[in-house]
Amino acid sequence: MRLERASLVAGRELRAERAQPDGLAAALGLVAILVFTESLLVGPAVAATPQIAAALLWIALALATILALTRSFDRELEDDAIEALLALPDGRDALYAGKVIAATLLLLVVAAVGTALSVFLLDLDVLLPGHLLLVSAVGAIAMPPLVTLYVAISLRLRARALLVPLLALPALLPQLICVSAGVTAAITGDAGASLAWCALLVATALVSAVAGLTIGPAAIE
Amino acid sequence: MPSLEDRAALQGATVVLDDRTILRGIDLTLGPGVTVIRGRNGAGKTTLLRAIAGLVPLARGTRVVQGDVLYLGHRPQLHRALSARENLAFFARYRGLPTAGIDEALAGWGVPDLPRPVDRLSAGQRRRASLARLDVERCAVVLLDEPFAELDDEAREMLAARIDACAARGQAVAIATHAHEELRRYRTLRLDAGGLVP
Repeated sequence: MRLERASLVAGRELRAERAQPDGLAAALGLVAILVFTESLLVGPAVAATPQIAAALLWIALALATILALTRSFDRELEDDAIEALLALPDGRDALYAGKVIAATLLLLVVAAVGTALSVFLLDLDVLLPGHLLLVSAVGAIAMPPLVTLYVAISLRLRARALLVPLLALPALLPQLICVSAGVTAAITGDAGASLAWCALLVATALVSAVAGLTIGPAAIE
Repeated sequence: MPSLEDRAALQGATVVLDDRTILRGIDLTLGPGVTVIRGRNGAGKTTLLRAIAGLVPLARGTRVVQGDVLYLGHRPQLHRALSARENLAFFARYRGLPTAGIDEALAGWGVPDLPRPVDRLSAGQRRRASLARLDVERCAVVLLDEPFAELDDEAREMLAARIDACAARGQAVAIATHAHEELRRYRTLRLDAGGLVP
């Protein structure tokens, strides 16, 4: 029942995003401009270094997740829509879990576009494309629980625009390290390292999902 | 002590927000029928409804609710990127209710059946769309915060009729309001400085 309710909230979120895709557009725009700027700033030789390409892409994706989720909660605050949700049975749990599910699906799209853009713009020679897809997909699943938690915690704070990245980015370091290293290994053709980092990424995703599901619903004001 | 008939009850409920005591030891039971809560601005009417809805934590006291709660605040509480129909369908599905009566409910409130987001509707139409939830989600406890605000005369009459219908169905309805002409015949409680006064 709880999963069904979370899925309904996620469906509502995705329907809203389809009607007014400002969150997705902002996330895609941010990732595209950062990848493009990076290739211009450091030059093609350095930008195509697998470690740098992977790290910058995933920092951009972390910021894009923050941006999309902040916009999503902003919409809930308009006309107090969030109050109607919180007053529903299991409303807090459904709201948190629904936002995480919807953000994960959006991030999968943004990560796919961002990765394709990086490969194309930086002319990356990816030796293990299947591994790259796997690590990127797990990376996209690993980030939303924590970001949703921090956006929810700071929902009514005036300094939210500053606080969320300030709190979320350090907390996302384990995920960012694992996904960057896993992507680097996939690009350079080190299958063992790529899978090992992917396994670590799954572990961090599980920890953040459990922490988020435990604290997140109660943190929503 | 709440009886079996009571749908919702607060016992010794105290609410403290930002170091300010908003409600002080409220004892209130809501049985089937309408209860009107009156009081000056800042008396704590909204907080009282939010406390019954479980939207604010109680510093002291207990809250007991039997069945689902429908809380309509003084803003429409609809997702502005979705159409009125999509909003109402979401709430109905969430509660496991049929969605078949939504079009009729919206038509009954005179809300145009448009696929566009409620963002594009007028404030009054958004308010009407929100009130159409009364016809779709027939919850045991209905909490209405200033429901007559932003409504024209026609909509005020429609709302008064819906409130009567809720009472006739045995729903417990609590209304925080300044407007009381339409509600004069109901049980009325007065809230002053966070406490219920006789």
